[in-house]
Amino acid sequence: MRITYSNYPSVDRMRTAVMAGLLLLATQSVFADAPITNWLQNPATPLAEAVRADFWDNFYLTLPFLLIPQILLVLVIWKFRGSRGHEAATWHENTKLEIVWTAIPALTLVLVAIPAYSVLMKMDVPPRSDLVVEVIGHQFFWEYRYPRYGVDISSEALVVPENKVVTINATSVDVIHAWWVPAFGVKQDANPGRISHAWFKAKGGRYKGQCAELCGTLHGQMLIDVNVVPQEEFNAWLKSRMPADTASVSEPDSSARKL
Amino acid sequence: MSAVVSPPMPARHTRSRLLELLSSTDHKDIGMMYLGYSVIMAIVGGSLAGLLRLQLSSADAHFLRPEVYNQYMSMHGTLMVFFVMIPAVTGFGNYFVPLLIGARDMAFPRINAFSFWLLVPAAGLAFAAFFVQGGTMAAGWTAYQPLASKQFSGTPGVDMWILAIQLGSLASILGAINFIVTIHNMRAPGMSMLKMPMFVWTWEVNAVILLIASPVLAGALLMAFLDRHLGTGFFQPAMGGDPLLYQHLFWFYSHPAVYIMILPGFGIISQVVPAFSGKKLFGYKGMVFATAGIGFIGFTVWGHHMFTSGMSNTLRLIFAFMSMLIAIPTGIKVFSWLATMWGGKIRFTTAMMFAMGFVSLFVMGGISGILLANVPVDVQMQDTYFVVGHLHYVLFGGSLMSLIAGTFFWFPKMSGRMMSEKLGKWTFWLAYIGMNVTFLPMHWLGIMGMPRRVYTYRPEFEPLNRIESYGYLLILAAATLFVINLIRSLRKGEIAGADPWNVESVQKTFEWRISSPPPKENFETLPVLSES
Repeated sequence: MRITYSNYPSVDRMRTAVMAGLLLLATQSVFADAPITNWLQNPATPLAEAVRADFWDNFYLTLPFLLIPQILLVLVIWKFRGSRGHEAATWHENTKLEIVWTAIPALTLVLVAIPAYSVLMKMDVPPRSDLVVEVIGHQFFWEYRYPRYGVDISSEALVVPENKVVTINATSVDVIHAWWVPAFGVKQDANPGRISHAWFKAKGGRYKGQCAELCGTLHGQMLIDVNVVPQEEFNAWLKSRMPADTASVSEPDSSARKL
Repeated sequence: MSAVVSPPMPARHTRSRLLELLSSTDHKDIGMMYLGYSVIMAIVGGSLAGLLRLQLSSADAHFLRPEVYNQYMSMHGTLMVFFVMIPAVTGFGNYFVPLLIGARDMAFPRINAFSFWLLVPAAGLAFAAFFVQGGTMAAGWTAYQPLASKQFSGTPGVDMWILAIQLGSLASILGAINFIVTIHNMRAPGMSMLKMPMFVWTWEVNAVILLIASPVLAGALLMAFLDRHLGTGFFQPAMGGDPLLYQHLFWFYSHPAVYIMILPGFGIISQVVPAFSGKKLFGYKGMVFATAGIGFIGFTVWGHHMFTSGMSNTLRLIFAFMSMLIAIPTGIKVFSWLATMWGGKIRFTTAMMFAMGFVSLFVMGGISGILLANVPVDVQMQDTYFVVGHLHYVLFGGSLMSLIAGTFFWFPKMSGRMMSEKLGKWTFWLAYIGMNVTFLPMHWLGIMGMPRRVYTYRPEFEPLNRIESYGYLLILAAATLFVINLIRSLRKGEIAGADPWNVESVQKTFEWRISSPPPKENFETLPVLSES
């Protein structure tokens, strides 16, 4: 029985080429159509910007640990291939080396954890709210209630004022859904029997999102649209949606919360 | 090869051999049956993945109806986890743990056979569930409540799915006890715990994980079953129950299950890399503690699957830090494998190529895992294709690549015949490239905003999805070559000697000292581990 051992081009060169090609295709697909909004490409809230910064911190801190093993593999394939006819070394221990490759990743993780902690605190503790919206998941559409104004809409875009702190109280009437708008850096499960919270303060624009927790047959069609509009436009929209008897009484604006 | 006098004829698959196999309590027979089972299930699970990729190859395909898509998606996950990966690692464990510790069989051979045979009705139930009215589980392999409750998934297929997984859990629990007792009591004289081969160590830790985690899964599914039929309402909010309780219980099992699927793979890599580097495994003790560390920390990270669920911030912090911590022992392992290769004399066999490919791909899954431990980033990645990409790098690039490395490495020992190296290298390149073409773009899709578990998506996600579907074809080609190689080599492969790879004496474990395939009872006289 004979087995032939051949040299082969490095796995890594192949991988780099594939990656570069894919990224090229990806960016083309992104910029060919209407701009995609998400926390990485077009963050629309301070929170999404913080998530993006945290992502890049994490990415660059850990990138060496992705690359070093690949580089070492290439070197091993090149330097220690059997066809060079050398003898294998006999060492198999080196305490100093082991301490180094335990301690350096540990330190790196501390550096990853610190910004993660501060962004998490930012996510969890919202500033004072300008507008409260109740988000209610249904199979397979979203209902939005503006409790202060008695407005209740379903299966249409959520409309909120720009640069105002909007607090989301999310729940569900049936199964678990998740309200996700990538450009806001917000994703929050809507659980039946519970109310969970999220917040955002968005720049003006139209944003897309969709349900991010498998909720049944038409999960893939449970889309989200958000229109972030100037305050006056929001007020006008709200008035047009208010029940007739309350429309004349309430004056929706940012000062309303002080009452 | 010349050292071997008369290689015994490999087992012929005659009818009497088949009957013998079906009634056997020999650990090698049972190991082979586990592995065969897992290959068959992988063909089904992989075909389902093909149907999913076909549906996803364009934005508004009408190939699968949504309810069918959800069933196939759920069953792809279920089959790959419970019916492919776990049986495959158990198969290798069954076959090689007794050989590597110098034992004649597992401690409880009949329980061993019983564990395997539980999986057959489990598969029967899982497949029959496709054909009952309403079909099978469509709530994902996670079976989240209340989506998988009576109210929203009333089909009897879901009950059959629950029972199938329950049988699998029972098999796991019995198997785990068997492995622990075997490893603790049946080692060769001279083999103290810290002299066990790494593969045995990984199975020791694995068995403990299985024993602790599996009952929790079985319990959670029992509660779900009672909710469905007795109206107990453990997970039903309207009855005072809590869907988040189900998630905690499910992930208490299912996160450690990730390590159940990967740790024996680590063990295989730790046997293959030294064998083809001509060098002893670097940092054995560090590797042992890293394995135990992963097993231990693995039980404290389940909440990172629930960062968006609305659980308390304190919990999110704890789970985030523990999840990051697990990168440290994992890093120790990766660097130790690289240090084992460094300075060695590398032989590029197919097994070694798969082992090197494993290191390359698994590292990718590990690094994306750190991003997923980072709560604010994870919240945006959760339930998106980024996670799908990550988990396939870990389970396909990691577990599956290591299992295939193990197959090429140990096939000669199990069958007495060599696998084709030429086909094997084609398999490797197709799998390595196909894997990256299929799963790398998923990370980008997830960041762009494509959620997972959807049968349709926005047009802007189409180009990358199309590429992924082409990548599947490469993987399909690799899988086909692999199966052809298996079948052909069983019949026509070159005869293998006792030590077909010429493993250097420094890392020659017991299995290479006996004939291929090993005789009944393995060892004529029980081996002793000499001091060296």
